[in-house]
Amino acid sequence: MKYFAGVDVGSTQTKCVIIDAERRIVARALVDTGSNVVRASDRGFAAALEARMIARERVACVVGTGYGRFKVSFGDLQITEITCHAKAAWLLFPGTKTVIDMGGQDAKAISVRDGEVVDFVMNDKCAAGTGRFLSTAAEALGLGLEDIGAISLRARNPVRLSTVCTVFVESDIMAYVAQGKKTEDILGGIHSAIAARTIALARRVGLEPEFTFTGGVSLNVGMVKMLEEKLGHSLNVSADSHYMGAIGAALFAMEHALARAAG
Amino acid sequence: MQMPVIEEHLEEIVERCVQAIETQGFPDAESWKRAVPGRAIVGCFPVYSPVEVFHAAGMLPVGLCGGGNRMEIAHADSRFQSFVCSIVKSTLEQGMTGVLADFDALVFHSICDPARNLASVYRRNFPGKKIEYIHFPQNFEAPEATVYLVREYARVAESMSELTGRSVRAEDLQASIDTYDAVRRLVRQLYAVRSDTPHLLSTRELYSLVRYGYLVPPEEHLEVLTRALAALSERQGRPRDRVRAILVGSFCEQPPIDLIGAIEDAGCYLVDDDFLIGRRWFVGDVSRRSSDPYLALAQSYMDASVSTPVKHDLRVSKSAALVERARRHSADAVIVLCAKFCEPALFEYPLYRRALQDAGIPHIFLEFEEKMWMFDRTRTEIETFVESLLFA
Repeated sequence: MKYFAGVDVGSTQTKCVIIDAERRIVARALVDTGSNVVRASDRGFAAALEARMIARERVACVVGTGYGRFKVSFGDLQITEITCHAKAAWLLFPGTKTVIDMGGQDAKAISVRDGEVVDFVMNDKCAAGTGRFLSTAAEALGLGLEDIGAISLRARNPVRLSTVCTVFVESDIMAYVAQGKKTEDILGGIHSAIAARTIALARRVGLEPEFTFTGGVSLNVGMVKMLEEKLGHSLNVSADSHYMGAIGAALFAMEHALARAAG
Repeated sequence: MQMPVIEEHLEEIVERCVQAIETQGFPDAESWKRAVPGRAIVGCFPVYSPVEVFHAAGMLPVGLCGGGNRMEIAHADSRFQSFVCSIVKSTLEQGMTGVLADFDALVFHSICDPARNLASVYRRNFPGKKIEYIHFPQNFEAPEATVYLVREYARVAESMSELTGRSVRAEDLQASIDTYDAVRRLVRQLYAVRSDTPHLLSTRELYSLVRYGYLVPPEEHLEVLTRALAALSERQGRPRDRVRAILVGSFCEQPPIDLIGAIEDAGCYLVDDDFLIGRRWFVGDVSRRSSDPYLALAQSYMDASVSTPVKHDLRVSKSAALVERARRHSADAVIVLCAKFCEPALFEYPLYRRALQDAGIPHIFLEFEEKMWMFDRTRTEIETFVESLLFA
């Protein structure tokens, strides 16, 4: 049995996915990237192999992706995370036409046809619209990042933010807390502002359903709901959202290995 | 002025050029000035400047390309708004920090509002320095426009003559035109090598060779280009599987050299571009247009110059010219790389976009700033674009 691996080296976390020839995910692993990117990719790959006791020699091809893709020293190929996200979204949700990816430090929108990138746009202005904005807000409210999404769902009167600057939003939040605004309303306002910015970004590549939401922020139920409300359409969200880049990379690894074998 | 050592390999010639480009200030120009009393330097802001006229007046025309990514803007922000291109601010910063102290004159041109306002800011803040502003014709269909431009060139020639004490005679201007025509011919040869055999000459190398000419007398530039072409003829290599692309939008503020390298490393051969287009302004030799050198220069501007967003020639569709250019170079794609806040480039982009879509030519739009240090993001965007072409 041959396997194919994708290693997604992100700025904060490294993910590895191993698939078989039927495109089934057989192993996954997630490690903190830390300061040594080369070792992070080694660790992530080793963890995935160990998870299912797969021998290294059985992996026919490895594709590196993400910010540190060129640091995957054992990689056969490097492909950008944008291309990989499009591929993975199409595998998991074959009707995908638009991918909205919100990660820890960036946000992207990708127009997809049959798993291929047609157009894309990246957030280039600031941290607003990324997970960093949400973690700053959570910290300002003394809450865990994993809790704020669910709390925001209880908002009845979401506040309006005067800024979407990650640095200055803390001042807005403190001002609302001082005014006695409810935590869920503050979080509702924050999620609403970020969702609006994200959709404005995605509009630049065209908003065509089906929408697949990827990246770490897709695990935030409040953001899912807010985006669906503003889009007027449901979102595809996979439990493997975190691994989309690595899944796509593994798929490309499989294609590359098959093409190589076909000569 | 230090003459370049005769180098054997193109890499060494290019490295000398890169070092000169990345050096803060203008030491080569200042050495030139000190070598003979009475010499004068004129700084020429983008895009096109009639350098032949200044050269004929005995001056050294030096191209002003902004402060690059090694200059911190600490003073110019007090004179300009935030939302303006970086080259305007860094050029003012150069003046305010003494980098242009040895420059006897500065010339600006009618390319956009920020550039025009920069000329005014300089006039107000540096009353002792000669500041010239050239209004290029906006109506290309009126025969009077050429007459006007001849007068405009004669006006600045006389202005510079007041500075140098040397009148611009017709034969002086003709000689200068011949010199710059020779430089442009060699630059065109290099671009032809680049387009025909991109694996033999990278855009980073080509750019460095052309940009060197902004810093030194044209005679020296001619010598360096001649050596570079000779060294290039010895080069061998195999073409790689890369996307052929032309790059437009970078005709004024310049990207860092390493950004150009990063774009190519991401999987492209840039087979044509509009970097430094001001010194590649003419299609063919100027001297052939007329025996009257002022008229030759003016007519060349009106009828034999490149299509670019800072020229409002309604006789030619800029979008159609872009599509034709892509086809002429057998380009697979177009990269539109614009400086942030560059109005001429950004205003043109929607028309380019529609024309490229109608012609079925894939393209990507990117922005840059001259002060960029990190190129990972741009590289990722270009790589993704290349992947979308190769995997399709």
